[in-house]
Amino acid sequence: MATKLIRDEKTEATKSFLSFKLAEEHFAIEVMKIMEILEVPKITKVPHAPDFLKGVVNLRGGVLPVIDARIKFGLQPIEMTVDTCILVLSIGLNDETVTVGAMVDSVSEVFEMEEKYIQPSPSIGSKYRADFIQGMIKEKDQFMMLLDIDKVFTSQDLEAILEPKTENQVA
Amino acid sequence: MDAMRTTYLEEANDLLSNLERALLALETNANDKSYIEEVFRVMHTLKGNSSMFGLPVIAEFVHDLETIYDKIRLGEMQLSKELLDCTFSCLDHLKIIIHDSDLSNPVNKNNHETLIHQITNFINQKGLSTGKQEQANSEHTLKTYHIYFEPHASIFNNGTNPLFLISELAAMGVSKMIPHFKVPEENQEFASESCFTYWDIYLETEKNDKDLMDVFVFVEDSSKIEITELGSLDLVNNKEFDAFINRGIYKHVKTDLEEIKAFAGKLQELSSGKTETAETVKTTELKSVKKEKVEKTISSIRVSSDKLDELMNLVSELVTTQAGLSLFAANNKITELEVITENVEKLSRRLRDIAFGMTLVPINNMFGRFQRMVRDVSGVLGKEIEFLTEGGETELDKTIIETLTDPLMHILRNSLDHGIERAEEREAKGKSRSGKVVLKAFYSGVFVYIQIVDDGKGIDVDAVRSKAISKGIIKSTDFLSEKEIFDLIFYPGFSTAQKVTDVSGRGVGMDVVKRNITDLKGTILVESKIDEGTTLTIKLPLTLSIIDGLLVVIDHVNYIIPLSVITKCYAVNNKDMMGSFNNLLILDEEQVPFIHLRDEFGYSSMPNAQSQMIVVNNGERKVGISVDTIIGEYQAVVKPLGKYYTKQDFVSGASILGDGTIALVLDTNKLIELFIKKIQTEEKSWQLN
Repeated sequence: MATKLIRDEKTEATKSFLSFKLAEEHFAIEVMKIMEILEVPKITKVPHAPDFLKGVVNLRGGVLPVIDARIKFGLQPIEMTVDTCILVLSIGLNDETVTVGAMVDSVSEVFEMEEKYIQPSPSIGSKYRADFIQGMIKEKDQFMMLLDIDKVFTSQDLEAILEPKTENQVA
Repeated sequence: MDAMRTTYLEEANDLLSNLERALLALETNANDKSYIEEVFRVMHTLKGNSSMFGLPVIAEFVHDLETIYDKIRLGEMQLSKELLDCTFSCLDHLKIIIHDSDLSNPVNKNNHETLIHQITNFINQKGLSTGKQEQANSEHTLKTYHIYFEPHASIFNNGTNPLFLISELAAMGVSKMIPHFKVPEENQEFASESCFTYWDIYLETEKNDKDLMDVFVFVEDSSKIEITELGSLDLVNNKEFDAFINRGIYKHVKTDLEEIKAFAGKLQELSSGKTETAETVKTTELKSVKKEKVEKTISSIRVSSDKLDELMNLVSELVTTQAGLSLFAANNKITELEVITENVEKLSRRLRDIAFGMTLVPINNMFGRFQRMVRDVSGVLGKEIEFLTEGGETELDKTIIETLTDPLMHILRNSLDHGIERAEEREAKGKSRSGKVVLKAFYSGVFVYIQIVDDGKGIDVDAVRSKAISKGIIKSTDFLSEKEIFDLIFYPGFSTAQKVTDVSGRGVGMDVVKRNITDLKGTILVESKIDEGTTLTIKLPLTLSIIDGLLVVIDHVNYIIPLSVITKCYAVNNKDMMGSFNNLLILDEEQVPFIHLRDEFGYSSMPNAQSQMIVVNNGERKVGISVDTIIGEYQAVVKPLGKYYTKQDFVSGASILGDGTIALVLDTNKLIELFIKKIQTEEKSWQLN
């Protein structure tokens, strides 16, 4: 009983995060949410799909949709380099768990951090939607945004962000 | 604890549906002991499970039920319609309380008590019947009479006590007296010296009707006396008969003599020697069927569907890897490797077949529910309906079966409600009194057909047509074939008219049915003849996850087109396609509109000089779809694209090819729909400009 209590306290206090880069910005995701990291395989594009949906890839016999995280954040599409990789994420979408791949420029490192060091994000004047950001983390003098991936990658939010753009395309 | 609870619920659900099936079978074959055994056994297991999982309320409830069937099993009690009805209500109740084992919902608690009361009544009844039963059995020369005795109100005035007459009758044999009381009319005073009582008497005696009449010799002028012979059976002690005549007693409903006579006749027929042989034949036949079923349950185990899905994934991955291996072996001519590869290929193919076979479940699982529904609905509608099922062993993918239940339920209900006529109406038409509804399933090729056949009144073509005109779905000048008219009943909105039953009644929500079937990649066909009946045929692919397709390439990207929609392929010059007016090509002297997929999907690279035109069926018409090259036939394991591609519904899934790349499986109907929509919006913008 006593040991369990101690362990609980510990896990509550510290969490593991993975940091990655999109363009020149640093972001972090809780490691728990990441199932694996893939090299970019051959992507099959689905016609008439919105830009941020890169296509589908074969993940050991399963079909994994891949999202360009840069487009998702309103940046230029990712240019493929050797560092480009796909984070396989397990996200909650309407009470279901959905697996989705997020293509990022590069992954940096896995680090541990006590939760109390996560700072609230300054929401005014931010160029990213505030509710996507869980908080800010400072690791080795580097500020990075901690993402709330359940919110970022739900399809509804994707549509909400892209709606104006698709309208432009039609016009 | 949660896992245990899930297991319990899963098992309980299974047991309850077994019980329902057995009860339904028992209802139609009341004399078949094997079904009673089955009912008893299922109840016993359920009781055991419930007490094991610490659900005493359910365990006790089932225990009481079980007691009744134990007695029936041992011949101490007889099965009655009343008892069956009660058991069905108990079954429904159990379905609810397995989720509410503490009876926290007051409604459940209330039901629970009522049912327990009923059950206890049944258990107590048995004590009365057992003793007399044997005695009655030995007397065969007896006759049963029904005597209706309604003394005149003033019978007491001349000193007659009707009870003396009654007891005189009772002395003549075995009897059952049912007294009824006339309620004085509202402003009529209650007269204590008048007789308000009258009787229905069932008497089993050696005496004849003249002897019986003699009892009433002094009162026959002033009283109403009717003596009817019901038959030579010992009806008074017959439990079924007893239950039958008891039905209306407490509601003070006057018993209908004709009905009782008919029922008595039926009972007599049942027990007479003539039908006995047929009955025994039936019993043995059923037993052999049942035995097979028992063996089946022993040889099957429960596997969670998650594990099955995982297995399917792994197997398809294995097949993919194996294809890669074969490719490698072909390129590196090593003899040993080729032998190994061949073996792996054989093994993985067999493994795949077995894995896919595992997700197939017999349709029977679904039929049971229908049986119950038909029983209940025909009771409500007051129609006589004979419901038959065929081909219950036909297997279909479990996801298809799940999705299919609702549409089938709907079609069946329509058949019962609007298709089958009332007994009198049927008789007038020269048909049998009871309507027949057959639900059958059978294989043909890679398709499963499910038919709902009724011998009801059929669909009135003219009525449907005029209704469609009045709703503005078609114009009065339109000429439609019979088939097209029947298809109108699937038109959304066709059903919203208030008096659908006047037309044919096949309209209610049929658009939803059609959509469900189409979602399963199936088709639905209506055939009907006035006064002969209607047949609905649903054609479905065996499984959604594996299809025969044609693998094609557009600009190095693989696509799969289901073989089932393809009629023919042609090689065409791109020149002809580009120069064609209005996207029309002449193929085999027929004008075929086509879709240039390369343009449509936005590939900018230069095409070859020649393209392949694949002509597919789109409903009644043919449409060409152009691709760069055709690779060949391919058996594709189709996987869903997931939640992110819901708007790209012209892609019905993806399949992983031997080299690990993904090919998109096209839904040509949706593709054509999309294309038409695009052209229409283009035309609109043209007009605007």
